[in-house]
Amino acid sequence: MNKTGLIIKREYLTRVKKKSFIVMTFLGPLLFAGLMVGAIFLAMSDDTTHNVLVTDEFGIVVGEGPDGKPVKATPRFFEDSERIHYFFTNDPISDQEFIDSEYTLLLQTNELTFNNGKAELVHKKLPSMSVKSQIKNELEGALEEVRILRKQKNNEIILTYEQYKSINQKVTLVDQDIESDKKDSLKQERAAVGFVFAVIIYFFIFLYGVQVMRGVIEEKTNRIVEVIVSSVKPFQLMMGKIVGIGLVGLTQFLLWVVLSGVIFLIVQIVFNAGYVSPSAVLDQQQMAQVGGDQQDLYAVLAQNPVFEVLFRINWPLMIGSFIFYFIGGFLLYGSLFAAVGAAVDSETDTQQFMLPVSIPLVFGFIVAEFMLTNPEGSIGQIFAIIPFTSPIVMMLQVAMGPTGGIWLVLTSALVLIATFILIVWIAGKIYRTGILMYGKKASYKELWRWLRFKS
Amino acid sequence: MLSVKDVSKSYSGHRALTDVSIEVPKQSIFGLLGPNGAGKTSLIRIVNQITAPDSGQIFFDGEPLKARHVEQIGYLPEERGLYRKMKAGEQAIYLAQLKGMPKAEAKRILKDWFEKFQILDWWDKKVEELSKGMAQKIQFITTVMHNPKLLILDEPFSGFDPINTNLVKDELMRLRDEGTTIILSTHNMGSVEEICEEIALINKSKKVLGGPVADIRKQYSQDLFRISFKGNMLDFTNALWTNFELVEKHSEDDNYHSCKVKLLGDNTLNNLLQALIPVVEIQGVEELIPTMNEVFIAAVNEKMEDQSHE
Repeated sequence: MNKTGLIIKREYLTRVKKKSFIVMTFLGPLLFAGLMVGAIFLAMSDDTTHNVLVTDEFGIVVGEGPDGKPVKATPRFFEDSERIHYFFTNDPISDQEFIDSEYTLLLQTNELTFNNGKAELVHKKLPSMSVKSQIKNELEGALEEVRILRKQKNNEIILTYEQYKSINQKVTLVDQDIESDKKDSLKQERAAVGFVFAVIIYFFIFLYGVQVMRGVIEEKTNRIVEVIVSSVKPFQLMMGKIVGIGLVGLTQFLLWVVLSGVIFLIVQIVFNAGYVSPSAVLDQQQMAQVGGDQQDLYAVLAQNPVFEVLFRINWPLMIGSFIFYFIGGFLLYGSLFAAVGAAVDSETDTQQFMLPVSIPLVFGFIVAEFMLTNPEGSIGQIFAIIPFTSPIVMMLQVAMGPTGGIWLVLTSALVLIATFILIVWIAGKIYRTGILMYGKKASYKELWRWLRFKS
Repeated sequence: MLSVKDVSKSYSGHRALTDVSIEVPKQSIFGLLGPNGAGKTSLIRIVNQITAPDSGQIFFDGEPLKARHVEQIGYLPEERGLYRKMKAGEQAIYLAQLKGMPKAEAKRILKDWFEKFQILDWWDKKVEELSKGMAQKIQFITTVMHNPKLLILDEPFSGFDPINTNLVKDELMRLRDEGTTIILSTHNMGSVEEICEEIALINKSKKVLGGPVADIRKQYSQDLFRISFKGNMLDFTNALWTNFELVEKHSEDDNYHSCKVKLLGDNTLNNLLQALIPVVEIQGVEELIPTMNEVFIAAVNEKMEDQSHE
């Protein structure tokens, strides 16, 4: 086996076999799943009272009462519940009027609603999933009844199967935020998904970068390093360490993904079967009805706002770039951390060098946070190209569909590759000299001198 | 076996080696001596290709030194250690693989070595559970396990008790007899006298002394003799007169003495005996050849005096 391979294998195996790795592998997903379940639970338990104005210009579900005032056309549906109150009108309402009004939600029908069951649910604040599905159920019921009533009016009292199918149509509510017109793009939500990946990259680079540094310091203080560099080149030792530890990080990440998925699935099944709002159960039934028809399953899932966001992300690109930027970022920062480890004698001495290494990383994280509220700002594009922040910032860009288009992805990737080659080379030089220097706390001037030593 | 030719190396203004040339004969134990900071470690690191010389050449078995030669060199650095969390056997196999040995072969050979050094029971123990002596044994084993043509040992005996020191010495001599060339860097002059055939002494980055141990000790002999005699001490000192110098005297009793005498001028031992025989009864005569320790101190101080004159 090739010597670098041997080093990678040792670095990898000793870490993967550690108890702490195994514990973290199982605790991580539990923590993750706990957070996700918590978030879903919060999203479902919404105790705000909603005033829903049903505007129906076409008189489908809102008719005219005896006193000329608009009332619901079907008495059975749109009953006020504890937390949802319905109001009705046949007149369109302007955005400003809605903002100034006391209504929290606006259910808007259009000329096609009667046939295709699509309506818009305009919100000031995104309603919880349970509120949304209650409103959906009401509209669905009302439409079904109205369709039957119309058929009765046309003396088509006897229903054929086709007639029933045309009555029993699902309702789709399209979310719309009153203060923005991003009806389709869901950019912010997608940026949030990218942010999750950015956080993962940020933490993994930090966590495992510091492990590289510790490993180098350990070898130095152990004094085994001189034995090893008499058999292999220092550069091989450094790269073996970085790659080995990077693979440990990737392994941990993949295990987390798999385990989180499993836990999340189990929890969801338990949740859906036992607890939860009737709507979720209804969705399940609908899914059962549509059976193996993937197209419909997709449609059902897409009604869920979370899934809708997820479906809009280019996953092959997302996962591809996650792996690329994880590796690129880790090589870049890992070699910097290795150089820091080589330049000092003990971990307490690392601070003066840690700061300049971690500042760009933290800064990337701050930019990513900023992008959550300003997904399309030029700052997000600039830092997507700078290689020290790009592994973090690009996660948001890719998730949103990069503002700069494909050239942004390509430029950023090329700059990152060029930079990590340069940095690995520089770090290799510092490392080579540093690992054999004892009892000397290196200064930056010293490091500069090391860079110019002959190998 | 190993020729170092005019090697120089400097680190940011500080000169570690200046035109050093040494010739290590095949199948011998070669002592590389010098005070701390003289440049020994720099030279050893260059031979191990951990660093490269600024100028000069190195030949390994007649060929210019190349990367592949590392597999034929075993190196035990002065500052040595092991991965504390790894198991002893596992670690030894890892180090053997880094030297290019296949795993199965490494395991077989290492088991034999562990057996010989009586640490086979510790094969599966973590290094941090081992005593310092055991760790030292493992380090020694990992240096010699791949049967290198050239062994470079920096202070190999430090940390060993006298019994294990002898074990290692015997092993070294056996390896030499089987064809290995050994470079020994040490401050333990006793072991240099005991096992080294040739030495080189480096001081202040330059080689100041080199050659077979016996020749060097002769070269530094100061015409000192120990004379034991029966008779009167006063008669003895009178007989010395101005041609000889009494350096040290030791009296067993009034009639039996042992003295260290230095020949002055062109006088020989014969002259000394001619002067003494008429007055005292000589019991024994012994030439006092300086120990390597004395040679070392003399050579290093000489050099320092030279420099202070400059």
